[in-house]
Amino acid sequence: MLLREVEYARPATIEEAIALLSGYDGARALAGGQTLVNVMKARAAAPDVLVDLADLDELRRIGFSADQSALELGAMVTSTQIGASSEVEVARPVLAEVVSTIADVQVRNRGTIGGNICVNDPTNHLPPLLVALNATMTIRSVAGERIVAAEEFLIGVYTTAVEEGELLTKVSVPTRRPGSGDAMDGVTLGAHGTYLVSAAASVSPGGVRIAIGCVSAAPVRATAMEQRLASGDFSEASVRAAAEGLGASLDPPSDVHASADYRRHLAEVSAVRAVLRAAQRAKG
Amino acid sequence: MTAVETEAGTRQHGAAMGVSVPRKEDNRLVQGQGVFFDDIKRHGMGYLHFVRSPYAHARIGGIDLTAALELPGVLGTLTGDEVALLTDPFFQIAAPPGGHVRDYALAVGKVRYIGEAVVAVVADTRERARDAAELVMVDYEPLAVVVDAREALRESAPVLHEECGGNLSYSDVWEWGDVDAAFAEADHVVSIAELHFDRFNSTPHECSGALVEYNRGTAQWTVYTNNQFPGFAAIMMGPALRAGLDKLRLVTQDIGGGFGNKITTHPQLVVCCLLARKLKRAIQWTEWRTDFHQSMSHGNERWFQDTEVAVKADGTLLGFRTKAIDDAGAFLRYEPLGGVIWSQVAGGLYRWRNLRLEFTQAMTNKAPVSPNRGYSRMQQLWFTERVIDIVAQQLGFDPVEIRKLNYVQPEEMPYETPNGCVYDSGDYPRMLDLALELIGYETIEERRAEAAARGKLLGLGIGSTLDSGTNNFGQSQLVNPALQFSGNNEVATVKLDIFGEVVVTLGTTPQGQGHETTAAQVVADSIGCDVDMVNVRVGHDSYWNSHAGFSGTYASQFAVTGLGAVKGAADLLAGEMRQLAAMVFHCSPGDIELGGGFARIIGNPDAALPFMALGAIVNANNAGFLEDPPTLNCRFVYRPQFDVPDLERKFGNLTLTYATQIHACVVEIDRETGVTEVVDYAAVEDCGVRINPRIVEGQVMGATAHAIGAALWETFAYDEDGNLLTPNFYDYHVPHALDMPPLRTGALESPSPFTPLGTKGMGEGGGGGIHCICAAIQDALRVVGAPVVTDSHNPYHRVWELIRHPERSRQSVEVRSR
Amino acid sequence: MTVSTTPATSRAISVEINGDTVEREVPASRLLVHFLRDDLDLTGTHVGCDTGSCGACTVLVDGLAVKSCSILAVQADGASVRTVEGLASDDGELTALQQSFKDCHALQCGYCTPGMLMSATALLERNPHPSEADVKLALQGNICRCTGYWNIIEAVVAVGQGGAA
Repeated sequence: MLLREVEYARPATIEEAIALLSGYDGARALAGGQTLVNVMKARAAAPDVLVDLADLDELRRIGFSADQSALELGAMVTSTQIGASSEVEVARPVLAEVVSTIADVQVRNRGTIGGNICVNDPTNHLPPLLVALNATMTIRSVAGERIVAAEEFLIGVYTTAVEEGELLTKVSVPTRRPGSGDAMDGVTLGAHGTYLVSAAASVSPGGVRIAIGCVSAAPVRATAMEQRLASGDFSEASVRAAAEGLGASLDPPSDVHASADYRRHLAEVSAVRAVLRAAQRAKG
Repeated sequence: MTAVETEAGTRQHGAAMGVSVPRKEDNRLVQGQGVFFDDIKRHGMGYLHFVRSPYAHARIGGIDLTAALELPGVLGTLTGDEVALLTDPFFQIAAPPGGHVRDYALAVGKVRYIGEAVVAVVADTRERARDAAELVMVDYEPLAVVVDAREALRESAPVLHEECGGNLSYSDVWEWGDVDAAFAEADHVVSIAELHFDRFNSTPHECSGALVEYNRGTAQWTVYTNNQFPGFAAIMMGPALRAGLDKLRLVTQDIGGGFGNKITTHPQLVVCCLLARKLKRAIQWTEWRTDFHQSMSHGNERWFQDTEVAVKADGTLLGFRTKAIDDAGAFLRYEPLGGVIWSQVAGGLYRWRNLRLEFTQAMTNKAPVSPNRGYSRMQQLWFTERVIDIVAQQLGFDPVEIRKLNYVQPEEMPYETPNGCVYDSGDYPRMLDLALELIGYETIEERRAEAAARGKLLGLGIGSTLDSGTNNFGQSQLVNPALQFSGNNEVATVKLDIFGEVVVTLGTTPQGQGHETTAAQVVADSIGCDVDMVNVRVGHDSYWNSHAGFSGTYASQFAVTGLGAVKGAADLLAGEMRQLAAMVFHCSPGDIELGGGFARIIGNPDAALPFMALGAIVNANNAGFLEDPPTLNCRFVYRPQFDVPDLERKFGNLTLTYATQIHACVVEIDRETGVTEVVDYAAVEDCGVRINPRIVEGQVMGATAHAIGAALWETFAYDEDGNLLTPNFYDYHVPHALDMPPLRTGALESPSPFTPLGTKGMGEGGGGGIHCICAAIQDALRVVGAPVVTDSHNPYHRVWELIRHPERSRQSVEVRSR
Repeated sequence: MTVSTTPATSRAISVEINGDTVEREVPASRLLVHFLRDDLDLTGTHVGCDTGSCGACTVLVDGLAVKSCSILAVQADGASVRTVEGLASDDGELTALQQSFKDCHALQCGYCTPGMLMSATALLERNPHPSEADVKLALQGNICRCTGYWNIIEAVVAVGQGGAA
């Protein structure tokens, strides 16, 4: 409950933030703090310097890329903002639907998209969803900007492509195309509770992308299942057949809430349900 | 939700009693003006942080405090070695072997569970105390760990307390009736290999803690705390501290929930006392959630092995025999009382007369158990309910009909059980009918079909339980004949002060049960005034003369003991007020009536004295009386009529009242995932006369929520190394708003013939919800291979396993028929 | 770099709390809840867990419900904070929500109540006539161990309907 001593800075610009993150050993970006502060309370992490991104208005914006092909969410955009955004509603409504089930109102009021994916807790909602949506992340450093696909971005728990001295600034999600649909399914510990297993699916004329959460340190693409569904047959029988063997291909953890076997089974069930709902939505 | 009141009060109420008057407590609590222990501050107080064991079982080598003591702001420390010098081990309730346990306020020589307090560190801020605690270096030599009570009883198991010669703390055989004859007479014998009641507790929202001051001039401690049984804490703390009870002033204020889990905080309070004396400053200790989960008051985990049930062809239950193995955790802080408390409800609501239970309790490398809402009876009632439903399933009886056939019938009340307990009143079949009406029993098959179309398995379950209240502490002699406790008592004082204020002082320690309100209702009717005129002091203070050895709030007794004391004191005061008015008016007390805040001569409204005049006369204007006027300051000790049980036969009345709960619920199970949802719920309570029906209903609701949590999500699960896997609210999922099903409540009032107000203690709810959810799961799964529910805790993965392998649980049950 | 961009272990902050501006130097490690309770004696805000899971510490920060155990006091610099002490008027007149909690027996021990009231206050300011489902969603972050939530939900819904039934 009680934190170790820590230094704190609140930069006014992204440049200042990057200077702080690269200039101090043990510096860490503080977004909404809904995970980081709680981890510091448990003293499971003890950064030396917290760089609070609260004043970086640029990171709080929701907009579109210049060519309108991507919805752009600043790293400090909160779940509450996403849930209420007309841009999200039009461009990729599944984002609003999913963030509205993250924990509770208080967490959604402060928790950010950047924080959710940089923490990359296997039970978090956004990592598998953003993999399924084929999102990209913009990372800035003194050297400039680079863009990383979600799958490459999410490496392990608290481990992402963001390196020391770098800052995640933006998440870009392709806007929804006609004939496409997205959905997320899974089993949680109580309503809106922690995911035991999650599955996100995005169906489009070009194929289907499926990502499973809670079964590894980072979301796992169900590539075999995706390939079996490449024909575009999203009947229940076809989707169920495509999911066969998915569980066996996974090596999920076992804990007090779910055995590895149960997680393997839930991965198949959740993937089937997510794909069926996404396909339903794709039909309009 | 709909509250169905089936009967108006069956006893004459006054103007206030029986009415859901607004709670007196609420005005301060809705404004954040309640005072909880952590809200109290003292100049220069030191914050205490415990260094806790990371090992479940280890010998303590050296302890190096140097770095901690060098940290700026650190005020001092306390170690187990100092505790062993300065205190005596806590008094043990157990006879040998458990009685040999040497339990100190800090670990001495060994640690026996993860989270056990090893060193206490005090600093000038909360944060620095924790910083310093991290700098304390403790050398541990790890020892083999045992976390399963069944394994702990094996000869090869690692031993927690060498002085006990093993891990057995208590065992005895409890047998009543003629069990062999019952089995000889039976047409069917149903045997169940093993049933398991899981470990959890009620996790009050406020954790434990205290602010402790030491007065060097009087050698007296003042302990501001949220302990819910100060009478018990004092008799544990005093001898340990080598101090008379006069030296321990225990004060409670607003308490953020208790549910029994705040009874055994005496070790931590002793540490605070020692440090307040050592460091010459007030000591503040706040337990954090993880500390609470790892170390405080777990509920009793219990197995029932080799159960056999004797049943007649028509479904009449003749008796059972079983072997209970109970897990006490690492220390016997209130145990082995759980070894007798269950027998208050040995046979549940049923008429079987031939019962045999071998009770064996083991100590394990887990947090110590202590009372938890429904303490020890819940386990036994779960056992009896599970037995009923398994018997019904195996022999093809209807769960409703077999219950009605075997329930103790209303015309048998008061009913003496095979072990001499007396069920005071009640109408179980009628309550069941009401519960079934509330849950919509008639339409259940239609709902089942509708759910099946959605891929859901729907089931209905019943839980029938008793909330035995007002303990006869003489039952403690059944587990240890050397103990010198029996009976029960509670105290209240009621006085009329100088400006006519009615002031009530209780010995109890309410944690949300609304004692200020219900006590005021009783007083208002006794002395004839408005509830608003009655001031009830907040909490308990052993400086006040309003407490007794058993004072506190626990074990479903306030409506009997607390209000019995209040009623007694208020009646005394009413008599004195009449006497005083008679002296003033020169008439007989019999000519005086009390009402509306006045004492007046009956039939002469002009001859009236307001309460203010009565208070002023006695306290400040008392010249001229030839005889001493009364004091208008009345103390009453309520003592229920009990005998010491017959220790040979294990026979006697163990509790005064038996409130009854019949719960029914509907669950839906996702056939593919095992995800289980309670979709409908009905709870019917009969706790005799209700002083404040809304408060009673609130208790029913709370107990129901606890049961839903325990049935589906809440568990204190350990790995084999003794790590608690659910040490916080992140992994220990308690029900949230979105998890709650629709609830309908109903009430019957069968007044207790044995209590001053016809009330019965209530609030624990007997765990009825756990039982009905287990039954509903078993009912829902009958179409997928009819597995048997053998555990009280059924998280999704366990339900999924039942669906996947129904044959496994079925193998544990066998029927032999004549 | 400006003062605020130079890392420091403590910082002077200015926070508007229940309408009053408070200026204090606080350690960067101090949680907002301890700033409120220990430094400002606003003890109505409670602590019920150590993982940000229970909501007993809920306050409004710039009108939004926030768990004050999951935010540092320095993060609240420049913000407007409302606690349970800021609900009733100075002369003790309760808000409709507080009154409804009393009327509906929506509290027992009262430990979760301040957090519940703040979450529900935020809801009602945004949605004056919430449905039962709206209320459950709004209170999902607040644990109560006494009531089972039913009466709390009823109390909040009743405010939107003009008072307790």
